[in-house]
Amino acid sequence: MGGGCGHLPAPPTVGGRLRGLDARAKVVGLIGVTIVAVSAPLEAWPTWVACALVLAAVAVAAEARPREIARRAAPVLPPVLFVAAFAPLLSGGRAVASLGPLTVSDHGLRVLAEVGAKATIGTVAAVLLGLTTTFPETLEALRRMRAPRTLTLIAAFMYRYLVTLVDEVRRMRAAMTSRGFRPRSPFAAAVLGRLVAVLFLRSLGRGERVYRAMLSRGYGGQLPAVAVGRLGAADAAFVAVVALALVPARVLAGMAA
Amino acid sequence: MHIPDGFLDNDVALATGVIAAAAVGYGVRRAGRTLDERTVPLLGVTAAFVFAAQMLNFPVAGGTSGHFLGAALAAVLLGPWTATVVLSVVVTAQAFMFADGGITALGANILNMGVIGALAVGGLMLAARRILPRRRSVLLGVTAVGAWSAVMLGALATALQLAASGTVPLGTVVPAMLGVHALIGIGEAAITVTAVAAVLAARPDLIAGAPPAAPAVRHTAIVQEA
Repeated sequence: MGGGCGHLPAPPTVGGRLRGLDARAKVVGLIGVTIVAVSAPLEAWPTWVACALVLAAVAVAAEARPREIARRAAPVLPPVLFVAAFAPLLSGGRAVASLGPLTVSDHGLRVLAEVGAKATIGTVAAVLLGLTTTFPETLEALRRMRAPRTLTLIAAFMYRYLVTLVDEVRRMRAAMTSRGFRPRSPFAAAVLGRLVAVLFLRSLGRGERVYRAMLSRGYGGQLPAVAVGRLGAADAAFVAVVALALVPARVLAGMAA
Repeated sequence: MHIPDGFLDNDVALATGVIAAAAVGYGVRRAGRTLDERTVPLLGVTAAFVFAAQMLNFPVAGGTSGHFLGAALAAVLLGPWTATVVLSVVVTAQAFMFADGGITALGANILNMGVIGALAVGGLMLAARRILPRRRSVLLGVTAVGAWSAVMLGALATALQLAASGTVPLGTVVPAMLGVHALIGIGEAAITVTAVAAVLAARPDLIAGAPPAAPAVRHTAIVQEA
């Protein structure tokens, strides 16, 4: 289950030399790293090394501290690796070793290596994107890369009210806890339904008020864009460096495999 | 239930991505018919609501806990297609903001935690409206069954995708996922039914299929307010 849902992301704390880059370049570059890593099978493992090196270079350029990256990956990555660690014992295939009653299969070890490498690279890439780019910047990048407008607009409003509503849930939860609410079984969760209903009705009321306030200020379906930049030489260079580091590595490793 | 990068093979990731994109694309067009672009602020606040409600966790068994998913509740309150759109935004934002769920598994995650639950509950509600009497108890009963099934179907889809990718054997992952989620589904159903009952008492106009004693206005009430 998603352990990260309860924590709001801190705004980007670093950026270093990447702070000035267009968000589109960062989105394309970092998602590109993930896609290349995920597409590579175990035999093409040098690709993963290349991806890790690119991520390390990005982290250095962004002046991101390892501790900060670890802190953001902490709710997500350890549970995933924990699940992956069971793969060698559960998967079918040729047994290569035995640990008491359990057998370690070759296919299971392969799954462990692939999942471990890919999940780590994907998570670190997403963490670096979050560290160097604000969510509104990411949204603006997605919008300008032709993501459906309705979706990016909904996401923009969601981001705006997230902190408010999450705070509201925390307060209501604290109020219930301080009055002795300690659920012991899934059935006891019913009480939380009232909290959810109150939250929904308040959210709806808030949404209606926000909408009227926006109408009275001349809203007609368009939001003013955040600082519209043009793609510059630095942006092209960033994407080109990532592509030059990864594409040959993937192709060569793929041929060798 | 968030699938990270690397757990799906390329074919499964691609196939689920295409299906999710088609469903969300249709949902955007479908929602666009009843909700024009100007009512987007309401949907944004609703997405924030789903996001915040997912913070609520409850004990399952043996020290583990599950958290509220909200797909069924969103489908009852917003209608299945609008719910699909809102849930897809929530899941995508979780991948980009928290690295929760892989970017390459985004299609699968949108399907498992949004589309499947929302459409299943929507279908169930529609069928119930056709063949069952319009009573509060019926609506709440259908909501309970829908919320539990939405969790189970999402878990089943996740298990099947993982097995089809060769990550875990089918015989292990299906019973494991369904076993845990049968209990999480109980918590989900309990929260959803109480929430729907409370909304039904306060604003029956918001729920399609509310008993006729209440003004039987569909969820377009949200739109009219705007």
